[in-house]
Amino acid sequence: MKIQSTRFGELEVAAEHILKFEQGIPGFPGETEFAFLPYGSDSPFAFLQSTTDADLAFLIVEPFSFLPEYTFELTDEWSDQIGVSTDNPPQVFNIVSIKESLNQSTVNLLAPVVVNWRDRKAKQIILEKVEYTTKHLLFPNGLPDQTAQGGK
Amino acid sequence: MLALTRRVGERIVIGDNVVVTIVDIKGDSIRIAIDAPREIKIYRGEIFDAIAAENKQAAVPQATAALDILKGIHKK
Repeated sequence: MKIQSTRFGELEVAAEHILKFEQGIPGFPGETEFAFLPYGSDSPFAFLQSTTDADLAFLIVEPFSFLPEYTFELTDEWSDQIGVSTDNPPQVFNIVSIKESLNQSTVNLLAPVVVNWRDRKAKQIILEKVEYTTKHLLFPNGLPDQTAQGGK
Repeated sequence: MLALTRRVGERIVIGDNVVVTIVDIKGDSIRIAIDAPREIKIYRGEIFDAIAAENKQAAVPQATAALDILKGIHKK
């Protein structure tokens, strides 16, 4: 599938990397299809690029490599809606709000994106009864030492 | 948009399976009870608005130096 992206130019994206957000996402109800673009082969980061709006892309991150203590309950209603189960486990991402100063960049822990890779469906859910916020600092302890991390 | 006037104890029925009951009014606070199937998610408007606003802020991370730094980070 050919996709136009302001950030990445023209892209050819395999069908298995296209995710359907049936109800869009909050703030973008009409955006129901995004291409999943990994940010390098071994990166916890990836982009979600709208297939219809070249200007619209989100940076997302796999939370567990940054926040091993991050947990939430995926209710049966969410699991059924997204189509995930113990046999088809979800992958979780959180949307990053990147700032010019990386130290100020935040990650939205209150509304994770849950992906069903088997059916290529995804949904941004809003957690209830949790302490997480929409603006958790991505690097609360300062920037990681990349040279030290690279070899692990 | 439909606007209805209701008294305490009166209800509004939406579709086949959502019932909204006005429970109590104190000053400018109104207590509402909502009976709906579990798959219908109900949020306070400001929570949904906060997520939408956060998404709008997060959208379109155009070429920033910060993004290049992130590229150097690998999974632990």
